[in-house]
Amino acid sequence: MEEKDGGSLRMIFPFTAIVGQEEMKIGLILNVIDPSIGGLLIMGEKGTAKSTAVRALAELLPEIEAVKECPFNCDSDGFLCNQCRETLGSEGHLHSERKKMKVLELPLGITEDRLIGTLDIEHALKKGEKRFEPGILASANRNFLYVDEVNLLEDHIVDLLLDSAAMGVNTVEREGISFMHPARFILVGTMNPEEGDLRPQLLDRFGLCVRVVSIQDKGERMEILRRKAAFDSNPGDFLMARSSEQRDLAGKIVRAKDRLNSIRITDDILGKIVDITSSLNLDGHRPDIVIMKSARALSAFREKDTIEQDDIKDAASLSLSHRLKRLPFEDIGNENKKMQSILWGMQA
Amino acid sequence: MRFPDFVGHEDAKLALILNAIDPNCGGVLFVGERGSGKSTLSRLFKDVLPEGTPFIELPLNITEDVLLGGIDLEETIQSGRKVFQHGILDRAHSGIIYIDDVNLLSPEIIALILQVQGRGENIIEREGLTLRHTSRFILLASMNPEEGTLSPHLLDHFGMCVLWERLKETFERIEVVKKAAPEVFVCNDKGMGIDGGLKEKVLVCRSILKDITLTDEIRGYIARLCIENYVSGHRGDLFLFYACRAYATFYGYKEVTKKHVDEVLPLVLLHRRRILQQMEKEEHRHDEKKPSEQRSEKHEQNDTKTDRNDENTSVGSMGEGLKDFENRTRESHPREEVFELGDVFKTRRIVFRKDRADRSASGRRTKTKSKDKGGRYVKSVMKTRNDIAIDATLRAAAPFQKIRGRKEMLLIHDEDLRFKQREKKMGHLAVFVVDGSGSMGAQRRMAETKGAIQSLLMDCYQKRDMVSMIVFRKEKAEVVLPPTSSVENASKRLREIPVGGKTPLAAGLLEAYKLIKRVMFKSPQTRFLVMLITDGRANQSISEEPVGEEMEKISQLLRELRFTDYIVVDTEDKSRFIKTDFAREVASQIGADYYTIDNLKADYLSDIIKSRKTEKFGV
Repeated sequence: MEEKDGGSLRMIFPFTAIVGQEEMKIGLILNVIDPSIGGLLIMGEKGTAKSTAVRALAELLPEIEAVKECPFNCDSDGFLCNQCRETLGSEGHLHSERKKMKVLELPLGITEDRLIGTLDIEHALKKGEKRFEPGILASANRNFLYVDEVNLLEDHIVDLLLDSAAMGVNTVEREGISFMHPARFILVGTMNPEEGDLRPQLLDRFGLCVRVVSIQDKGERMEILRRKAAFDSNPGDFLMARSSEQRDLAGKIVRAKDRLNSIRITDDILGKIVDITSSLNLDGHRPDIVIMKSARALSAFREKDTIEQDDIKDAASLSLSHRLKRLPFEDIGNENKKMQSILWGMQA
Repeated sequence: MRFPDFVGHEDAKLALILNAIDPNCGGVLFVGERGSGKSTLSRLFKDVLPEGTPFIELPLNITEDVLLGGIDLEETIQSGRKVFQHGILDRAHSGIIYIDDVNLLSPEIIALILQVQGRGENIIEREGLTLRHTSRFILLASMNPEEGTLSPHLLDHFGMCVLWERLKETFERIEVVKKAAPEVFVCNDKGMGIDGGLKEKVLVCRSILKDITLTDEIRGYIARLCIENYVSGHRGDLFLFYACRAYATFYGYKEVTKKHVDEVLPLVLLHRRRILQQMEKEEHRHDEKKPSEQRSEKHEQNDTKTDRNDENTSVGSMGEGLKDFENRTRESHPREEVFELGDVFKTRRIVFRKDRADRSASGRRTKTKSKDKGGRYVKSVMKTRNDIAIDATLRAAAPFQKIRGRKEMLLIHDEDLRFKQREKKMGHLAVFVVDGSGSMGAQRRMAETKGAIQSLLMDCYQKRDMVSMIVFRKEKAEVVLPPTSSVENASKRLREIPVGGKTPLAAGLLEAYKLIKRVMFKSPQTRFLVMLITDGRANQSISEEPVGEEMEKISQLLRELRFTDYIVVDTEDKSRFIKTDFAREVASQIGADYYTIDNLKADYLSDIIKSRKTEKFGV
């Protein structure tokens, strides 16, 4: 896809051209279909297309309805920012427009003021009055917020991120400014676990989690090389050749989004989900909810009308790998084996 | 001196040229001793690049705002709007960033550089500024492994790695001296057969690079090589691809051949192999092949090509002494065993006793407000210090400009001034020094010991300490795990420790000493806890001196280290009739707290009583 970057065009490797890594792709897609799933953490070694996939996702994103010219992408039916509330109060209604969802990147070197927003200096200089200048959390509302190397993020930034993620609201009280705006973002993080662990509170924030490893199949590795070389030498042609595939996938996502609410969640399905989580001794209700939502999104993406066994199974394996209880050093393999055996048992 | 005049190190020069031709090659890391010419060659690299290519040397004390860019104080005050000051990453675009002693650079700065490099773009969200600009550069770095290692995931970012060995041949050495003083000697160009036209040649190569063909056979060959060498991720494949393509171009071929791939292979894969997996495999192979060992050695001698590659790749394991580690696994040793983990238990609270109080007060990791200008700018405060937070000061002054009657310059009053509050992480590093000698294998003591270490590791995990692990056995000690915060990795390494051979206890302690010195240099704030796990039967010296005297000397060194606590965990079986209690002696020698595995286990009752007391009396 092409992205405007200070006038010059930046080419991004297309999503559908990524070889393999199906779990990661489906994890991202499910979050587009149902943003309330709560994001995705991608764990894996270097050079396994983690960042490529997240950046490529942008082209597949659908449009959303948002208040016109609102920097916070307020949903006119949802929680409103101070600004929209004022407008609503004075004019009695809000105009909406369709905007394409975006992927916003949060760089490691970000400072606090740019994350949550601060006083607009230029406005203050010119007009002598205080005005709020939105930060990344503002633009991230109802969009994807992508943190590369999320485990290397500074603690004080993580704290702020967790605060607004928990409330869905960013409250700013600084430099004589008070401002409140909705900040419901879909958090996508990538990390290489060899570089250090993630704080448990942050880990828990991610709805889904996938682990990616390098592909061992020689043929697929050759294909990666072939595509990368083709993209490098002529990105324009490469994108063109992929465009219909890209459009098909984007269309499929939109259709799944539309069909989402028509898929019924029966007591039978809920029972199966709870069976899984309770046999794994998981705390809280978040795992149940995440499995339920992602199973529904999966079934919608697979163009079905009902949730089936394999939807639940796949959803559980995406939702639970980072929530399983284990001693800090117990092999990752062990816990997964246990989960897999429970999931396989379902089918029998 | 010019680039082609540089004597020897043909592989280093080749690596640089390939990067000049195709920056996709991913940069070069030079590893070698001080004074071996790494920096000299790196600086000569300019000669190979087209005029005007930026070449920036990154100082080790660089701050985030200089690196990424930030707000320009003067301009902003003059003009009354936010003016961005370009950072190094902007100025280096389409050029070179050179980092001398990259292993001494703070990990936070390295992470920032690598993130921008990986993305090809610098996204700035700092001090009220939002900006993005493309930033593609060739990363060139050097390191001296004696001064500390670079973790594998950082190594992996470099497209190529070259090991600098000292020039051995007298002839070459003489050449070096001649070239260094050209006015004395008449120099004649040679080496690589390149003359003055190198710069032009690079330009030509760049223009035809994309026309070089690569068959599926070669792609398959690359993929196979990477799979066989346990290269993690797919970056190795890509770097290998770019490198061999640049190589073919440079030597005037229209199509890449296997030979070209072989030529660049050591440069690209040297630092990339998954060492442990590889070792395991070799160990297996070794076991199978034992009877035919002689034959295979002979075979290796005949096949010089494989021999060369082998040598190179094994040296590349880099985490000091890993070469020896690999060699060691190849040595046949009848009594070598790897024990599983024994029982894991909750340890009593012993870690970092001296500063537990302030740690618990501020959470898991201690942070210290830093006095100097180092550390990360966290927030602005209204206090008098000379580290002004420009953005915050401007914000404070901005609303009053109208009232104050600003004309051209901003009017900033004393009460507007804001200062930076910085924060430095005060690290805690637990260094496990583990005895892997044969005596530890008796009655499966090692299994129990590993259980104990695992328990200590869990404690570190809960406290978010960094860990490192040193194993000593046979003739020497080695760092099997450089300092890391991934305790999971530590646990992985722990499982893999084999047992067998003599006990070079002094070597283990010396290695710990060197490691601590290195870390201190890099982050002076760090506190250390050395956990020596041994039965104390030192019986192998590293010098000519007797074991006892050697131990005395090293203990002296250790006692002099600042911010370092020691504990000794005695693994001797105390239920047996004959006990030596050697470890207890070692403990008193280095001033350590002494524990046996049994009294290491948390005594819940006494702990509870202790904590009650503390509550009651507020001790």
